[in-house]
Formats: sequence, C-alpha cells, structure tokens
Amino acid sequence: MKRKHFLSSLLTLGAGATLPVLGAPRRQTVQGPKVVKPVPSRVPDYLSTGDTIGITCPAGFITLMEIEPAIQQIESWGFKIKIGDTVGKKDFSFGGTDAERAADLQQMIDDPNLKAILCARGGYGAVRIVDRLDLSGLSNYPKWVIGFSDITVLLCHIHRNLNMAAIHSKMCNSFPDDWSKAEPVQIDSILSIRQALTGQPIQYPTCIHEKNKTGVGEGLLVGGNLKTIETLSGTRSDIDTVGKILFVEDTGEYLYSIDRMFWNLERTGKLGGLQGLIVGGFKIKPDDPGEEFGRTLYDIVLERVRAYNFPVAFDFPVGHQKNNYALKYGMSHRLTVTTENVTLEDHI
Amino acid sequence: MMHIPPALQPGDTIALVCPAGYMAPERAQTCIETLRSWGYAVQVGKTMNSHSANYFSGSDEERLADLQQALDNPAIKAILCGRGGYGLSRIVDKIDFTAFEKNPKWVIGFSDITILHAHIYTNYKTASLHAPMAGAFNEGGAEGAHVASLRAAMEGRKTRYSCAVHPFNRTGQATAPLVGGNLSLLAHLCGTTSEIKTKGRILFLEDVGEYLYNVDRMLYQLKRNGRLDKLAGLVIGGFTEMKDTTRPFGQTVQEIIRDIVQQYDYPVCYEFPVSHGGDNYALKHGMEYTLSVEVERVTLEE
Repeated sequence: MKRKHFLSSLLTLGAGATLPVLGAPRRQTVQGPKVVKPVPSRVPDYLSTGDTIGITCPAGFITLMEIEPAIQQIESWGFKIKIGDTVGKKDFSFGGTDAERAADLQQMIDDPNLKAILCARGGYGAVRIVDRLDLSGLSNYPKWVIGFSDITVLLCHIHRNLNMAAIHSKMCNSFPDDWSKAEPVQIDSILSIRQALTGQPIQYPTCIHEKNKTGVGEGLLVGGNLKTIETLSGTRSDIDTVGKILFVEDTGEYLYSIDRMFWNLERTGKLGGLQGLIVGGFKIKPDDPGEEFGRTLYDIVLERVRAYNFPVAFDFPVGHQKNNYALKYGMSHRLTVTTENVTLEDHI
Repeated sequence: MMHIPPALQPGDTIALVCPAGYMAPERAQTCIETLRSWGYAVQVGKTMNSHSANYFSGSDEERLADLQQALDNPAIKAILCGRGGYGLSRIVDKIDFTAFEKNPKWVIGFSDITILHAHIYTNYKTASLHAPMAGAFNEGGAEGAHVASLRAAMEGRKTRYSCAVHPFNRTGQATAPLVGGNLSLLAHLCGTTSEIKTKGRILFLEDVGEYLYNVDRMLYQLKRNGRLDKLAGLVIGGFTEMKDTTRPFGQTVQEIIRDIVQQYDYPVCYEFPVSHGGDNYALKHGMEYTLSVEVERVTLEE
C-alpha cells in the first residue's frame, strides 16, 4: 500500500513539475498536443491504525444514538472517532443550521489530525453550505471525504476544485445495529469502506447484465446521485466527465424524470466523451395512472448512448440499497465489460 | 433587439401541436371550436390525434416533424401546444428554426413548453407566449379570464395584471424584459444551450407537485448559476400541490424564496396568477413589462 501511495505522490509531483513551463517566455511557447487523459487526482494518505476519522452532518440530522453502531464498528477497525458538533443537532430536516453545518465541516477540513471525514447521512442540505467552505485546509491536509446521495455535492465539488480523491460509500446510518444479523452483502458493503480507506483493492460483485455494452474504458471515476449531478449543472461544483468513467444511481424518481436527467447529461456534454458508464441501482417511482412512460431504465440509457462506443455496465452494486460498495471517487480506474464478466479495477 | 411575432388577424391560422406528453383528442375539441368561434382557422397537427400507446404524443420523430411543419409553414401565425408533460428536452436540439427566424410566430404554452420559450429567447431573441394550453379551454375555461388573456395577447392587445399583496412582498418598481416559467425546467436547462440569462430582467417562476426540499435545491441551483443575483425583479407565481418529506422541511415555498433572495434589493411579489392551479394569465415571454410592487397593490404591465 505504501508503494501505491508513493507512486501517487510521484504522479502528483510529476504534474507539478511541469508547471514552471508556464513561466517560459511567451514567444517561445509552442502549443503542445492536447492532454487526452485527465491529470491523475491527488490521493490523500491511506489510513493506518490509530488514525482519526471525523463524523459530521452536512445535510440531514442524525442522533448520537443512531451513529453508535458505526462508531463501534469503525473503532473495531483500529481507528479513532471524532464526533462533530452537528451530530445530534437538528434544524427541521437539517443537522443544524447552515452556519452550524458549515462550521462543523470546515473545522474538520482544517484539522491536520483528521485523516478522513465521514458524513453521517445524506438527505438534503450540502448544496446550501458548499459555497461557504474554504477547501484550502483539505489541500494542505489532504483527507478522505466519505458519503453518497446528497453528499454527491461535496464529492463533485472536491473533484472539480481540488481534483482530490474521495470515497463514495454508505454512511453512518447504514451500519447495521446488530452485525450478527446483517446480510453478507450489507457487511461486505460496509467493509469495503475500510478497504477503500486503507488502500486495499475492492472486489466488486459481478454484475453481468444482458443489456450491458461490452468494451474497456480507462479514466478517473466520477459521478454519484443523478438528480444531484443535474442540480449542480452550470455551477462551480459541476463536473467535467470527458475522458472519465461516469457512475450514476438514484432513488424515488419517475422514469420520465430519469429520462430528462439523462438528457441533461447529454445536453451539458457529460456523455459524449466518456470512457465508460456505470449504472447503479435506481429505485423507480411508479408511473402515475395514465402517464405510463413505456420505457425501462435500460431503454432510457441505451437510447441515450446509442451513438457512443464506450462500455456500459448495468445493475452495478452502488446506490440506495444494501449492496452499495465503496467507490474511489476521482481515482483512475479501468472498466472492463465482456459478456461473461464486469470488472472495475482501481490499481492500474 | 427582440423579435416580436405579428399579432393575429381574423382568418389567420393557428396550429395545434403536442410536442411533449400525450393528449386525448377529445380534450382539445373545446379549444378547437373556441378558436374557430374567434374567427381563426385551426390546423390540427398529427400529434393531436396520436396513436401513441405510451407517455408521449408520438415518437420523437413524429413530435419533431409536427412542430417543425408548424414552424416552417408561413401560413401558420401561431402554434398552440395541446399540453405539457415531458418531452421537449428530447427534441429541442433537433428543431430547425431557419424558417421561424424569417417569419416569427407566436409559440404558446407553459410547463414543459418552458424549454421552447427559453430556447427561442436565448438563441433567436424572439418573444413567445407563456399561457394556458388546449386543455385549459375545458370545464368552462374557454369562457374564463385566463383563456381571454391568451386571446388578448395573441391579438396584440397590451396586458396589465394585478394581484393581491403578500406579506413577504418587497416593494419597488422595475421595467425590464420578462422571462421565466417552470422552475424545474429552468433548473434542468442550466448548463445547456437553452438556458436563459436573467441579468437585468424580471424573472417569473411557478411549479407543481415538487417536494419542498427540491424547490429549495433548484433555487440554489439558479442562485449558484448567478441567475438570481442581478434581477430587475422577481415574480413568484403559484407553487401548487407541494409535497413534503417525512421529516418536515420546516418552511413554506414563500419562506424558502424569501430567505434565498434576502440579500438582494429588487422588487419581489408572491402568489402572482401564473401557475398549474388554474390561475394562469398569458405572459409575453421576452417582452418588456413594468413590475410595480407597492404596499397596497401589485401590477405587471406590458
């Protein structure tokens, strides 16, 4: 794992080393070939025993009691927990006022002793505080930001503005109360967070689907909750997906709305340049009577990507469901889709 | 300079098309008869009698072709959409506006048709009509004030609306182009070539059936896109059939908007009669209006 991190540091240094070229006299500057592959992201240090993880609520509220199972489990992995001020705070649906949530997240961003920030849960609210955040602390003391759903706002914002890796995964509210009664896939999903944090490769359960489009793609892995990605369009948290592998998931949306969101991806230039598309779980809201959409999720996606050649993997284990494995957001991956297998590898 | 389609004259032809969701043909009968009684010829597009078995009033190709022929035919002076629903996102980039640019005509509708208004305004600088559609003529609507306002607007009469005062109103006066429509669609258009620039304009918003948290999120999207900070004025229409999550959001739509525009000083009015709830007066999208928000009264005058 140290070797991998060493390699990442070298890559970061390598990217930095090209900067002085910008200082060269202008008349001598020759337009070089366009960079096809995105610059590798900055990767925070992987965690070791004794490292501290902060827990905060940038979106919906949660009680201290509700995060107890997560605390116990994470401590059993050998990490320490710092509980943020917003845990137990409540402003209607939010985990504290905008000012309180922003302050809690900010002090964790700025804390040099934290190695990761785990968002307690999603819900709604990250977009209300994201523009108040000063990311320089994250740049000075790189750390993993962890979450999904509404936390897609933070993952996209960090990728766009810092190009720093993060973790898209389950949060505190998904840790089972009774580990012994949890389903294996639930346990595997939770343990994949530990694997991501410690730099171990994650084995994703195979998701062979007859509608998959075969092929191989390589690029930084970005994406998240589809609706959240749409609501970031045009803002300074909006992600560029050219040359990357995009993953999307969603819950509680009508089929027509999912179709409209895929058109938003298309019309904002997020599909054309992809290296690959990963479609996770979609909990679909049933059509209203008389408003039957007449197309499945698979139809919607395949219709949108018909003109493109990148691989597409359906039913990938990511989303608002038990099998929601950790994804190393913003890191380089290879997606391989064949008729017999689907693999997503991050150690390439 | 805005292009303003010519006002309708007696004997002119109005095309009825359905570019988005399916509409049962009988739902358009009252509208067709009423338009004829006003002295217009009506061209009923193929998508008004669609054999579609699904959500849309025909395939993308069929809906595009029907709208395209109405845009291209110089004899047609206005295009009234049957209904909204969903569907324009799928075809808007394929519409050819060459003939429309030479012979601008009124494009009429609201809800999903917001996409056409925005696209036409941004790319072709042409005014259009945010107004009731064919379905609104039913159940006595044809004799009502809202359909009458559509007729007045089509015929080139200048409109002046007033609405009740609201405790959150912010007083002031502004004369500027009026743009806007359905909030969900304006948010959905962010980052696309159909998006409206709102600086120095009066923005109007309405929506239906959304969760309160999602209304908040969409307003944040507009704000983060710089679409709320330099307005001349803000007109908030009806936000009908709002939904809430199990954990209550804790604010009404009006409170959400009051807070999000708190830092600005342009005039704001609430509960303006533009909505999915029946109260829906015709507004000339892209044309200059004077918004006057006073303590005692609110007016929006062309």
